[in-house]
Formats: sequence, C-alpha cells, structure tokens
Amino acid sequence: MLAYLLLLVPMPSLGGFLLLALDPYRLDRRAVQAAGLAAGCAPLLVIGPLAALHLTGAIGDQVAPIFFINVGNFEVALAMGLDAVSAVAALTVAFVAACVMIYALDYMSYAGTPDLRRFFALMNLFVAGMLSMVLAADSITFFLGWELMGLCSFFLISYNMTSPRAFAAGQKAFLITRIADAALLAGLLLLFLEAGSVRLTELIPAGTVAEPVRGSIIAALLLIGALGKSAQVPFHTWLPTAMAGPTPVSALLHSATMVAAGAVLLARFAPVIEAYPVVAGATAVAGATTALFGAASAVAQTDVKRLLAYSSISQIGYMVAAVGVGAPAVAMAHFVVHAAFKSLLFMAAGVMSHAGGGSTTIDSLRGAARATPIAFICYAAGAASLAGLPFVTAGWWSKEAILASAVVSGPLGAAVWAVALAAAVLTGVYAFRPVLVAAATPATPRRRCREHPLASGPLIVLALLALAGGLAVAPMTTLMGGHPPHPAHWVEIVGAVAALAGLAGSVAVVFVPTLAARVRGARKLRAGLQFDARYYALLVRPYRRLVRRLSGREGAWVDRLGRPPDGATADPVGQATVALGLWLRRVVLTPFSPDRMDIAWMRGAAGIGRAAERGRNLQTGRVRDYALALAVGLAALLILGWGMTWR
Amino acid sequence: MALTLQILLPFFGGFAALLAPRLAGLSERWTTIAVMALTLIVLLLAVVSGDDGRWLAFTRADWAPSFGIQVLLAMDGLSAALLAVSAGLGMICVFISWHVTHRSPLFHAAICWTVAASNGVFLSFDLLILAFFWELMIVPAFLLIALWGHGDREAAAIKFLVFNAVAGLGLLAAVFWMGATSDPITFDAFELARDERSHTAQVLLLLGFAVAFMVKLPVPPFHAWLPDAHTNAPTAGSILLAGLLLKTGAYGLFRFPPLLFPEGLVTLAPWGMALGAFGVVYGAVLACGQTDAKRLVAYTSVAHMSIVLMGVCGGVHFALMGAGVEMIAHAFSSSALFLLIGALQHRTGTRDLRELGGLQKTAPAFATSFALFFAAALAMPGTANFLGEALVITGMFQVNWVLAAIALVSLVVSVVYATRLIGGIVFGEPKPAVQGAHDLYRHELWPIAVLGLCTLLFGLFPQALISVLRPAVEAALTPLLFVQP
Amino acid sequence: MTGLNALLALSGGLFVTGLFGVLARRTIVLQLVSLEIMLAGPALAFVAAGAHHGAVEGTAMFLLVLALAAAEVAVGLAIYLHLRRHEGGGDADATARLRG
Repeated sequence: MLAYLLLLVPMPSLGGFLLLALDPYRLDRRAVQAAGLAAGCAPLLVIGPLAALHLTGAIGDQVAPIFFINVGNFEVALAMGLDAVSAVAALTVAFVAACVMIYALDYMSYAGTPDLRRFFALMNLFVAGMLSMVLAADSITFFLGWELMGLCSFFLISYNMTSPRAFAAGQKAFLITRIADAALLAGLLLLFLEAGSVRLTELIPAGTVAEPVRGSIIAALLLIGALGKSAQVPFHTWLPTAMAGPTPVSALLHSATMVAAGAVLLARFAPVIEAYPVVAGATAVAGATTALFGAASAVAQTDVKRLLAYSSISQIGYMVAAVGVGAPAVAMAHFVVHAAFKSLLFMAAGVMSHAGGGSTTIDSLRGAARATPIAFICYAAGAASLAGLPFVTAGWWSKEAILASAVVSGPLGAAVWAVALAAAVLTGVYAFRPVLVAAATPATPRRRCREHPLASGPLIVLALLALAGGLAVAPMTTLMGGHPPHPAHWVEIVGAVAALAGLAGSVAVVFVPTLAARVRGARKLRAGLQFDARYYALLVRPYRRLVRRLSGREGAWVDRLGRPPDGATADPVGQATVALGLWLRRVVLTPFSPDRMDIAWMRGAAGIGRAAERGRNLQTGRVRDYALALAVGLAALLILGWGMTWR
Repeated sequence: MALTLQILLPFFGGFAALLAPRLAGLSERWTTIAVMALTLIVLLLAVVSGDDGRWLAFTRADWAPSFGIQVLLAMDGLSAALLAVSAGLGMICVFISWHVTHRSPLFHAAICWTVAASNGVFLSFDLLILAFFWELMIVPAFLLIALWGHGDREAAAIKFLVFNAVAGLGLLAAVFWMGATSDPITFDAFELARDERSHTAQVLLLLGFAVAFMVKLPVPPFHAWLPDAHTNAPTAGSILLAGLLLKTGAYGLFRFPPLLFPEGLVTLAPWGMALGAFGVVYGAVLACGQTDAKRLVAYTSVAHMSIVLMGVCGGVHFALMGAGVEMIAHAFSSSALFLLIGALQHRTGTRDLRELGGLQKTAPAFATSFALFFAAALAMPGTANFLGEALVITGMFQVNWVLAAIALVSLVVSVVYATRLIGGIVFGEPKPAVQGAHDLYRHELWPIAVLGLCTLLFGLFPQALISVLRPAVEAALTPLLFVQP
Repeated sequence: MTGLNALLALSGGLFVTGLFGVLARRTIVLQLVSLEIMLAGPALAFVAAGAHHGAVEGTAMFLLVLALAAAEVAVGLAIYLHLRRHEGGGDADATARLRG
C-alpha cells in the first residue's frame, strides 16, 4: 500500500511539465514560477518521509508494480521499487532538485516569461525522468528515465536558442550520450533475454551467472553506458562544452544528478560487474584514469564552470573506481556527498559571477569575497568538501572511504589508490584556486551586492550538508549493504596529507608567479589533452565528408551516374538504380524508338513511288520505241508459241 | 459486408467528392471527411463484433469462378490497425489541405481513392485482387503528386510511377504463375499456400513478391523514387505516401511470404535482414546530409522501414511484433512531421533548413509540436517508435548480434539528423522567412494532437497494440527459422 | 524450197525489212514508207496462201490489206502534214509530247 506512494514521486514534476509545456493557455509569470517551483519541490515532500522510513528501518523494501505487458512468451512487469540504493539516490535527487529550483527562481529572473516557462517545464521533466530512473525496479522504466534525462539535457544545454554554440554543445552531449545509451540498451536487452524478465531483482542475478564471454560482453556494455552518461574518459568531451547551458542546468544536471547517473547504474548493477573480473578491472582503471585526468585538466582551466565540469568528471571517476574495486555502497555515499557540494559550488559560482558582471572566468571572480560574502563562504565550504579537508568536511569521509576500499582490494586496487591519491592532491589544487582568487583584493574595490535569500538559502543549506554530512557516510554505506571500511591509520594520514598538500599547492599556484604562469601556459591540458580536437579529426570530419560524398555534393559518382532533376541531392545507391534504368532505356528502347517497322513500310512505299518514277522512262513518247516494243513483244510471243509446241 | 464497405466506401466516396460540389452543392472536403469517418465507424463496428479466432472478419464471394478469382477479404488485428490508420490519415489529409483550391474536388477524390486502394491491399487474400489493388494504388498517388505538387513534380511523379509499376510486374508474374499452375485454377492465397512447391520455385516466387514490396517499402537500392516523390508532393500526398503506401509494402512482406513461401523465406531471410541493416545505416547517414527538410524526413523513412524489413525477416516473435509496432508508429510520426513541414512551407514558402530557423520565438506551439515528434524520430522511450525499434533489436539479438548492433547504430545516427532538423527549424534567431509565420491553426493543431497522443499512448501503454497485433505475429512466425539458444 | 515456202520467206523478208525501216528511220515519211513495205509482206503471204490452197479468201484479204494501207497512208500523211505545218519538221523522235 505504501509502495504506491512511490508512483507518486515523479508525478508532481511530470504534471508540472505537462502544465507548463503543453497547456495552451497563457500563464502569467507568477503562475509559471509557482507551478515550476511546486512541481520541482513536491517530489521531495513525497520521497522524504518514505526514504526516511525506509532508511531508519521502519519499512522494508517496497515494490510498486505499474503494469504488465505480454509479449511473446515473456511477461514484462514494470515496477518502481524502494530499496536502500534507490531511497538514498531518490532522496538526494529530490533534495538537490528542490534546492536548484529555488535558486533558479532568482537566477533565471532575467528570462522572459515564455522562456522561463520552457525552462521550468524542461527542468521538471528532467526531475521526473531522473526520479523514475533511480526508483525503477525494472530495466524498462530505468531506460525510460535514462533517455528522458538525455533529451532534457539536450534541450536545457541549448536553452539559449539563439546561440549556435549552445546548440552545438547540446548536439555533442546528446550524440555522445546516445552512443552510450545504445550500448546500455544492448546490455539491458541481452540481460532480458538471459533472465526472461525485466525486473532488476531477476536481471542482476541472471547477469552474474551467464556464461563467461556473454556475461562479460553484457557487463562491458553496461559499463560503456555508464561511462558515456557520466562523462568518463573516453566519452567525457561533452561535459565541459555543456557548460554553455545556464548555471542552474549545470548545477542540477551536469554536476549532481545526470552525470552521476552512470555511477548509480554501476552501483545498481555492481554484482554483474563484479562477476566478471576483466570488466571490473576495466571499471576500476577507467575510473581512476578519469579521476586523474579530470583533476589535472581542471588545474589548468581558466573558466570556473569548466573547472567544475572537469571536477565532476574527476569525482565521478572516483565513484566508478569504487564500483570497480568492489565497493558500490561507498560509491553511492560519495554520490550523495558529491551531489551536495558540486551543486553548491555551481550555484555559488553562479551568484559570484553574476555579481561580477556575468563572465565566468576565474579572474572575474576577483573580489567576490567582498561583493557576495554569503556565496563566497558557501563556495569555500564546498571547495573544502571537494578537496576533502580532513575530518571537517563530508568530502573527506566519502573520499577516504573510497581510498580505503581501494587499498585493501588487491594489487589493482593499490594502483587505483595511488592514482586516486594523486588525483586528490590535484583536486585540492584546483578546488581552492577560485576561492583564493575570489578572496584576493581586486584592482577596483567592489561594492557589496544584494544577495537574494532565494539564492542564498539553498546555498547555506547545502554548505552545511557539505560540511556536516560526513557523519552520515558510514551509516549510509552500511544501509546500502556495504562495509564501511576501516582503513589502516597510515592510509588516513596519507589521505589527510594529500588534501592539505592540495591546499598548499593551490596557494602556490595562485600566488607564486612562475607557477601561475606555468598553469596559464598549459594550453593542452586546458583543452583536455585535445580529446575534442582528435575526436573531431578522427570521427566528425570523415563522417561529414562521407555524408557530403553520399549526398552528391562532392565526389565523382555524380558525373558518372547523373543527378535527379531540380538540382536536388541524390545518393549513389538510389541513383545507381535510376542510372541502370536509364541505361536499359538507352540500350533496349532507344534503338526501337523511331519505329523501324513503320520506317521500313514507309520506305517501301517510297520505293514503289521511285520505281514508278523509273518506270516512266519507258514512256519516251517516241513512236519508234513503241514500235520496237511491239516488235520485241511479238517476237517473244512467237518464241513462246514455238516453245509450247515442244513436247 | 463490413470489409467490402472498407473498400467501396472510400471508392465511391471519391466519386461523391468529385461530383458533390457540382451536383449537390456540398463541400467536397466535408464529404471526404464524412466518408472517412463512416469507414472508420464501420471498421470499429467490425472490430468490436469480431470473432475471437484467427480472423476478426472474413468475406468470401465468387467473382469469376472459371478463372478462380474471388472477392476474398480477411481482417485481423494488424489489418484492422492499418485500416484505422488509413481512414484517420485520410481525414487528417483533408484538414491539412484546407487551402487547396485548384481542382479541389479531384484532389479530394484522389485522397479517397488512395485510401480505397490501400484498404484493398490490406484486406485482399485473393492474389489477383491483391495485385489489382497494388497497381491501382499508384494511380491516385500519381495524380496527387503530378497535379498538386511543387517543383519538378511531373518528373517526380513519373519516377514514382515507373519504379512502382515495374516492381509490380514481379508481383503480377508470380501471381499469374501460381494461379496458372494451380489445379483447379485459383488465386485464393490460402488454397495456394497448401500447394507443394519446390524450393527453387518458392525462392523465385518469393523474389517476385519481394521485389514489388521492397520497392514500395522502400529499401535501398530501390528507394530512389521516395525522396523525389516526397519533396515534390503536396502535404497530403506526402502524408498518404509515408503513412499509407509505404505500409502496404511492409504489410505485404509481413503477411504473404510466411503464408505462401515459408521455405523460400528461410533461405532469403538472411539476405533480407542484411539488406535491411544496410538500409538502416544508409538511410540514416544520408538523412544527415540533407538541407531540404522533407527530403531529410524521406530518408529517415527509408531507415525506419529498413528496420521493419529486418523485423519481418527476423522470423522470431519479438522481431515481427517490433515490425508491426514500428509500422504503426512510423505512420504516426512521419505523417506528423510531414504535416508540420508542409504547414511551415505553406507559410514561409521554403523547406530549406538553411533559410528556416527560430520558430520557437515566433510560433511556440509549432516548436513544441516539432519537439514532440523530434523525440519520436529519435525513438525516445515513451514513444511508440522506441517500442517498435526495441522489439526489433531484441529479436535481432536472438538471431544475430551483428545485425542488432547495426540496428543500434540507427539510434545513434538518429541524433545527428534529428538535431539537424530541429536545429534548422526551431533553434536560432528567427530568419526572415520565418518572421511572419503564423502559429498552428486549430485545424492543424488537432491532427497533431491526435497523432502525438497516439504516439505517446502506444509508447507508454503498449499492451493494447501488442495484443491487437499478436495473432498476426504468431501466424507469421516461421517455425523453420532458427533461434539462438 | 517449194513455191509457197519461198513466197512466205519473201513476205517475211518484206515484213522484217519494213520493220527495220520503221525502227531505223527518223523521219515520219520514211517510216510511213517502211510501214507500206511491212504491210506488203503479209499481203503477199495472204495471196500466196490463197493461191496455193485455191481459196478465194486470200485475195479478199489482200483487198482488205490494200484498203487498210490506203486508209493508213491517208491518216499518216495528214498527221505528217499537220506536224510539218506546226512543229516544223518531220522528225518522229522530236514528237514525243506524250512522254510519261
């Protein structure tokens, strides 16, 4: 009975979307804001008590069936379910969504009413999609939510419709995530065929007992799906460019929820991943590499949003690596903490940059400590959590849990630990750079800006969570079925040293001129080691050329096969058929085309005429000739007569 | 009775639409709408009162007994769904063509006749009658393109005619052979299915049928008529072409090979699936390079119908069910896209994506409709298109993983062309051509709403459609086709 | 050679000679003369045959031939005179207006 409340969780957001997007009547600005906010915050009101009840053990796992579909010999049972992972994830998503919606009320006040309406509609659709995904108890609902998120991401990144850059960024994000989605779909369908059911409770065990090659392929497909959505290497190029979207979009989608969906996927399907050591190893390696790559790239960024984007890439790498080393619960704990501080960082950065004139470069944040103190302090708290300052920040606890799990899980785990540690140092370096720059005194002193409570409220709440949330990490891990690791003391100490080293490094990079110049000159690192450019050269340009060739805009086949009338484009295969038809016409029909028989008849008729012309020559008009003819004829008759007397 | 009415009502309705304005002073538009509505009502009555067995309705009557020709009509779930779609699309065509005044009675008559001929194809099981309706379909469609189209419409209409007529010869030849070699002479498909035929004969006959259906489908390399026909056809012509005529090809492939040539199908199915796989990628890649919006959607039709081909040749339950669902879903989504593009062309005078743009600012309802069917074109879960494609892919995984992987490529490439389409129309600063574009009128909005609702309903609550299609799918299963363990 | 045969040979010779004359001569007058010679041939043959068989029909035919020859000469000379007067010449070859 209580389970059916689960179905209500995404409903308010979905209803908000329908009202705002499809409702033909005009709504005034207040109504739009109210509807958007209510729809965005209502899920929290539903899932909050449910999750609390579940996590405190008052109610057990719940499943709410949606409906059944009979296809072939299979019965496909759609359902939503509440278990530890989904409760934690849903609560996080709903909470962060509520915070971002409240923040967006103030941040998006520059937008006109139709655009605001579109914004809230899309944000609500996204929230509905993500909640469906985390609460799904079957793979179809899961995939539905997954794809819906991708669609909303496209529309939200390209929210500024008049900007071709934003549109291109949206296209890129959509395309790359779609590649991963195709892999995910393949994995889910194969699992379905293995298990005979779509329920996750039956899919996951079936995935673990599949025969090795098949099972590894399935696990690898799931991994690719997760890597793409979570912007891990090599699918990460879309996230930094996705920062072209408005800040609330970056705060909700591209930091806390959607990009971390891959980690949620991996945490859910962790048994399948862990059942195939090759894939698990690949997961760990992918996660660790991404963590290091993201952190290194982030150090070299000059734009705070891009810095935070690379930071997200790096932090989710941590989560992915955690699943790879066999600690999915710890990964989920980090997901929660990361959601809190990353969305906080984005929102605070948004406030600071708005106050600084709208530019999002780090240098323009100079003096924000004076101009927007609340935002600055919250940003600093978030940065501390990101860097993982020991003991006082939630980030420390979750990151330490990951590092500890890695170190105890075999040789690969130890390598992962080392890489992750290096990444942790770099995290400290880049996390505090904007803080230090913002705290520095600007060239011209800046006045204190008015900070709207709608913006500051969520910031403060999230900052408190980012700091104090560490207390919840261990209980969460236990709840989600993992073991809170008890690392050896040296591991903890090394971790603490790493974070502080990062802080020191950050100070050095900002204030020591030579280092600052080095960082400014690290162009390749800033461009993310030119993955983007290489993908463009390897994949996009040849594809475009292929398309142009096939469309007949270039290439030699057009001259050979001809093109259709009206100057339209053609395609080689289709035009080949047409050319074949035309050739047949030329070879078979055209020889007969002037009617040969008719011509022959007419020529014959003309011949008769000519013969008659020639025959006229016999009529000379001369008596003598007629007489000769008479004589010859007579002679012939006589001979004939004589001849007939032979016998 | 109801089944013959499905054919005769639109047929005579066409004449009514042609003559009504002159003789009775009635509007030919409302006449056509009434005829379509009546057809739909008769269909619904037939479905509701239908039997529970293999066929919902069955009609058999002698016509030329000494030649074995009968009026043999049968309807099951698949045909019923397609008949409903045809009547619905006929009505939508009238609504969307309200501005057509040049020779309007003949225009509406042509719409009726196209619907009548397609209904004939969907219902006939006497092969000669089937071939007759197959050829008949071409004529009113030719008229629609040649008389009311734009651009180089005569050339496009002739191309359409030549391709389809030549392909129809294959069907005709196979039908005549089968009829002539049957003893006593008959064209009854069920009787002919019982005849024993050698393997080679089956393959050859199947090729004859397949050529006709594949050119209609259309599958590369026989698809060359479609882009030109679509670009130069009027909006109603495009809708009928995409929503109806293409489906007749798919229906033919779905229905007749498993019934008449099961062994031949087993032999040719791998080729069919390979051809479908090629068509999926080829159509999608070509769609990415188009600047004419209608041509882009035409190439996506090639891609989607190639998926249907893969499903039909798959032979397993999922693949066939997916093919059936994709048929219906594609009818909705492509009709809606052509409707929108046609409405846009009527307002702005252009279909060129380089000249359009920024529709969001000037016509938000238009933009939202585009966004909805953008999602359908992408096969977003929640739309019926996704259901069809996912079922086909599942079936392909049971048959051959490589084919499934290729079908998945369509999901990825669809992003490129769909974003190209919507980017060229909805995004960006409003271009001069778009500046004065009026938003969707009510008579355009209602068809879009209906089509969108159908897409979403069947995508989110698919059980109804799946149950309706189940008997047809089960009859089309080729038990000789292998299934990977 | 019997008398009859000799006479028949002579008449044949007359005929051929006349024929040759008609074919070979250009002027109308001489053609008319040749025609007379031609006519003499069969006339002689008729008479000879009548004499040989003792029949009177031969001589009757001879009279017919005479009348025929006279009529023909009359008409022929009339044509000749007409041509001489209007065309200026008696050239048979030049009078070819009935050419086809």
